[in-house]
Amino acid sequence: MNFSFSEDQVLLRNSVRAALDEQCTPAHVRAMMEDPKGYSDALWGEMAKLGWLGLPFAEEQGGAGLGLVELALVLEEMGRAAYPGPYFASVVLGGLGLQLGGSAAQKEKWLPAIASGQARASAALLEDALDWNPAATTTSATKGGDGWRLSGVKRFVPWAHVADVVLVPARAPEGLSLFLVDPRAPGVTVTPMVGIDLANRWSEMRLADVAVPAEAVVGRPGGASVVLEGLLRRAAVGASAEMLGAARRCLDMSVSYVKVREQFGQLIGSFQAIRHRCAEMLMEVENSHSAVYYAAWALTAGAGDAPMAASICKAYVSESARKVCGDAIQVHGGIGFTWEYDLHLYFKRAKALEPLYGDASHHREQIVRGQVLHSDK
Amino acid sequence: MDLNYTAEDVAFRKQVRTWLEQNMPRHIRNLDERKAWHRRLYEAGYLGMGWPKEYGGQGARPMEQAIVADEMARAGAPAPTNSLGVGIVGPTIVVHGTDAQKRRYLRKILTAEEMWCQLYSEPNAGSDLAALRTGAEDRGDHFLVNGQKIWTSGGAVADWGLLLARTDPAVPKHKGITCFLMNMRQPGVEVRPLKQITGSSEFCEVFMTNARVEKENMIGRLGEGWGIAQTTLGYERGGRALARITTYASQYKMLMDAARRLKRNGRPILDDAVVRQKLGRIWADLEVERYGALRTLTMLERGEHPGAGGSLTKLSYSEFEKRFMELAEEILGPYGQLTDGVPAEFRLEVDTAVGDHGTWAYAFLWSRAGTIYAGSSEIQKNVIGERILGLPKESRADRVGGTR
Repeated sequence: MNFSFSEDQVLLRNSVRAALDEQCTPAHVRAMMEDPKGYSDALWGEMAKLGWLGLPFAEEQGGAGLGLVELALVLEEMGRAAYPGPYFASVVLGGLGLQLGGSAAQKEKWLPAIASGQARASAALLEDALDWNPAATTTSATKGGDGWRLSGVKRFVPWAHVADVVLVPARAPEGLSLFLVDPRAPGVTVTPMVGIDLANRWSEMRLADVAVPAEAVVGRPGGASVVLEGLLRRAAVGASAEMLGAARRCLDMSVSYVKVREQFGQLIGSFQAIRHRCAEMLMEVENSHSAVYYAAWALTAGAGDAPMAASICKAYVSESARKVCGDAIQVHGGIGFTWEYDLHLYFKRAKALEPLYGDASHHREQIVRGQVLHSDK
Repeated sequence: MDLNYTAEDVAFRKQVRTWLEQNMPRHIRNLDERKAWHRRLYEAGYLGMGWPKEYGGQGARPMEQAIVADEMARAGAPAPTNSLGVGIVGPTIVVHGTDAQKRRYLRKILTAEEMWCQLYSEPNAGSDLAALRTGAEDRGDHFLVNGQKIWTSGGAVADWGLLLARTDPAVPKHKGITCFLMNMRQPGVEVRPLKQITGSSEFCEVFMTNARVEKENMIGRLGEGWGIAQTTLGYERGGRALARITTYASQYKMLMDAARRLKRNGRPILDDAVVRQKLGRIWADLEVERYGALRTLTMLERGEHPGAGGSLTKLSYSEFEKRFMELAEEILGPYGQLTDGVPAEFRLEVDTAVGDHGTWAYAFLWSRAGTIYAGSSEIQKNVIGERILGLPKESRADRVGGTR
């Protein structure tokens, strides 16, 4: 039993933090918010060089062969920096999706390209009804020519405008299936959906009778449920790690601020109303840390409670990060409500991830459903 | 990071489980039977485990202590007794006591031959413990003690008490306090049970009128009692970390069963989305407490002391327990308030500190104590703010001058 990071894990976190502190400053985040593409090729190349883009992939696919604990460490730092770019989309959604369900040929084609930074991937997991249950997918896949033809509308597809390949669930005659789609293929329309977190990009992806080849099916037709459930769990924990980082940043900024801000002739951090709020924020951050890294470990180790741990993680961190980031604005007062001050970058990052890959309500229902199923066995 | 238990810990857990199956009494009817059970646990090496071997303990690892407590919770085993003696007084004597004090007192604490209480809080010194006014006057070969203590756990059965008393009212309040071992069985000590909102009396009031404490029963030096009390307060190790969660988890299962039985508009309330949301939330919170316990145990196993981090743990679980019991009451409705005549399917079989059979009502009321005793949530937040986050201290009028 050892719930602490190894030396290598601490080194990884420190090097990610150092690199992002230097290259992903708030000024960089703001510049990317204005940028049409939304991320920097220079930093992307640097991330490839440092091995972050292939972190969870096998070494023969150009990866570092590390687990979800390490991936969560990187994502936490990205949340802390409000990193603008398709890291999560490419490595977690696309990369882990392919790792979970892809054929040897598909992995061979895409994972080294993702790891080297040459290709970017994503996954289109949500439709208009916002139902996270993969069984609710309405996008259709029919046989046509040598391959398939896909039709439907996907919403909130992260970084689809810069993706080279998107994992698209669709309903085939065989059942729920997963396809690799080129977002620049004829029949695909990608339209920006601009949210409050301008450093995090979403698109609507319309598929109008899009032709995809037979070899673009991930796994077997009709067999996508298990892959998608596994991917959603990993995405939920990964998003939680990013929210944890954003929350920690908000806590750190608050603590620094209340140590220098004076009102009524005193530092406001000496007031119990402020101090107690900061103490609660720390408690939430530490509890979120426990939830994220327990779940990341459980998924990597294949522990029996891994699905439960993933739902517990997302249910807990979604609300906890909301509270911490919101409280940070509150203890800052007016300055925390200004565009100029950086706090809103992290507040918005946490907010953007809160409903994704299942919000707290979704995962609380998953928890109870799992318990009822278990006791009925 | 590896959250699997080691083969060694798994084997130890099995050994404890087997021992409990063979030795656990079904019911404990009185203090003598509880002392006998305590003695059996001690002789099996499952009590005072963290104490150094030279003083009768096992020198066991924190994880082994946690596993024993956890297995006892899992089996619903009755609690041993003399918990303040074993958990606080003994360790204080080990660290600060003289050789003579160690020889005289330690073994009898472990065997529960002598029962101990802690004489700290006073009517006007609760969260502000250092404001205590009970005086100990130097009379040459002994001290004469006058004053009142309150919230004394186990005071009614205690043979001895670990006492904090003021020996110098002229100096700033934290500096005039001394720590003593006081015989409770003497004419100058009167103990009155304090009836709590639970209707039971786990606590007492203790009145001292010219009570006598021999000089050799002073712990540490004159005026150093506050520092000793601070280390004492911080000595609570991770022993109950897992056991606490295991108890919550078994209570949660009972709540799920109740939610299958109880109905709203003809449907089990377990099918109600609102109820399910509340259950899902509390289970997530409960598991997060368990993960936190594993983090604490990891630190303890590495020989690190959580320090002020203990305040985060205590704040988190005591506030959780309150939310948990509020949900239990909500689900159980009036069944949750029954103290007698509880139908079998809504019974909560827990062993209370005073040996009665517990009820949901008792557990609910008792959950209100957790955010007050051993430093209220507000005090824990002050500690977290000042010692972990490094926030500026409040200006406090009591940091200067004496108590006179």
